[in-house]
Amino acid sequence: MPDPAIAIRDLHKSYGSFNAVNGLSLTVEQGDVYGFLGPNGAGKSTTIRMLMTLIRPSSGSIKVFGMDLATHRADILRRIGAIVERPDFYNYLTARKNLELVGRLSGADVSKASVDRVLGIVGLGQRTDSKVKTFSHGMKQRLGIAQALLHNPDLIVLDEPTTGLDPQGMVDIRDLILELSQDHRKTVFLSSHILPEVELTANRMVIINRGKAVIEGSVQDLLNNGRLKVTIETSEVTRAQQLLRESSLGDKLQSVTQGELIIMLERHEIAGVVQLLTSNNIPLSAVTPVRSLEEYFISLTQEVA
Amino acid sequence: MMLTAYRVEMEKVFSKWRTYIGFIALGALIPIIVIALGIEGQDYLNIITQQFGSQFDFKGKLINGYTVSFIIFAALYVHVPFMITLVAGEVLAGEATSGTYRLILTRPISRATMVTAKYLAVLTYTVSLVFFMAIMSLGLGIPILGTDSLLVIRSETITILSADDLLWRFILAYIYAAMSMVTVASVAFLFSSLVENAIGPIMTTMSIIIGMTIISAIDVPIFDYLRPLFFTNHMNGWKFFFDVPADAESMKYAADWSRIAISGSVLMLHIVGCFVAAQLIIRRKDILT
Repeated sequence: MPDPAIAIRDLHKSYGSFNAVNGLSLTVEQGDVYGFLGPNGAGKSTTIRMLMTLIRPSSGSIKVFGMDLATHRADILRRIGAIVERPDFYNYLTARKNLELVGRLSGADVSKASVDRVLGIVGLGQRTDSKVKTFSHGMKQRLGIAQALLHNPDLIVLDEPTTGLDPQGMVDIRDLILELSQDHRKTVFLSSHILPEVELTANRMVIINRGKAVIEGSVQDLLNNGRLKVTIETSEVTRAQQLLRESSLGDKLQSVTQGELIIMLERHEIAGVVQLLTSNNIPLSAVTPVRSLEEYFISLTQEVA
Repeated sequence: MMLTAYRVEMEKVFSKWRTYIGFIALGALIPIIVIALGIEGQDYLNIITQQFGSQFDFKGKLINGYTVSFIIFAALYVHVPFMITLVAGEVLAGEATSGTYRLILTRPISRATMVTAKYLAVLTYTVSLVFFMAIMSLGLGIPILGTDSLLVIRSETITILSADDLLWRFILAYIYAAMSMVTVASVAFLFSSLVENAIGPIMTTMSIIIGMTIISAIDVPIFDYLRPLFFTNHMNGWKFFFDVPADAESMKYAADWSRIAISGSVLMLHIVGCFVAAQLIIRRKDILT
């Protein structure tokens, strides 16, 4: 069993009495596309900054590919490519020169062919010799991904990589992440505050809030096979409620209001409930399943807002 | 890795427009001063030797390449620190302002290497600017105006240095000037490590230089204790290369070596202190920009 790509244990970062990261633990296996999800201010960027050695943890440990970050910084950073928050560059230099300079510091091949290749991958092949000050935010975001890929790292850390991109740009980046994972066997650590973005690309994920991991597991388990909060809209609420109570599903009823029943179900149980109600001539106007985790995540986001 | 980091820093420093402001300013000013002094230098000398006019009869080509270089040195020496501060004050804080600390400090080079590489790039720029000033003033002054003795006039004393005793003085004075400017650069570099706005270190360093210069110029006894501590006071040590102690007039390579050594040591302490402090600050700094 290879070492985990990232193993974070009991990580803390405090600024005075404020705990930005408060006992975070997580494990990213090699080859994962790992969604690092949390509302704004949850501690995602602080964690990434600690992972990238930009800030020092107050306590806890970070291991990357089995090596302790505190003692093997250079060896680890040689194997990581990252975008940390905004993609900032030397605006007075061209895209090519920016990549050459940072690439040299990473020991990358900065030949013209190599730089052109990565700029081509992110769709900036036509702007290699343009100064970065002429770039839009989306183009800088793409350049950020290019610099993260230039030295062919094993682990790619992307902090909100689709921010500022147009819809096509978002699709391109998602496709690129999947390609990096599936075709090139890269491990991707994807930070985001957008659940669908993680759902579309990641195989495992963690949700963090107030600097702590709230839930961690496979995206499949957490989102698709989890319990659903199903809202059933009908004009015959009382009869529908009675039918459900007489069945084995009575315990799962959560609330009943005028014209609406809310019931917690597994995905495979929805069809049975619909069958039960329609076969008893209960008119249904809508059946809306909401994933409980999604609802939970939205509530976290709203709490912060 | 150090060499790579140094080259990267050099490319960054010399890709910026502000780096060339000093070279352009000196490149434009020095020829103008050389030509102006060549044309009307005698009037200028007459004014400054007025007080000795009744006692001395000055002979020879007093407006020559060395005299002009000495005048340029004294005149521009005050202003060059501001040009240096523009570059040195920005070199670390500029990375914070532009958010590019995140780009360079996530590379497999240590922070100490990065800071050293940046410091060496600043050093290279500073020394280049001083030697550019030297080459421009001596390189233009000597071919255009020739060589002869240099008159060094200080309040009530006058020192005459013969032409064959001057080149080594200028060379060492420029080396000393380079060290003085490196001191200014080091102070700006230290302030640059402390803040996250590039304007702050530039303004602070300039304010310190102006403040120290003003205090040094005011002849109040309480300032007598402070003056020796001010690096600005020791930056003028280049003039000691043109001071010949009375008891050493016949000696070869006569200069006020003891004062040069003291002032040089104070400057060196500032240089080392600022560099070490900047290293420690960056090493412990959380990058939040």
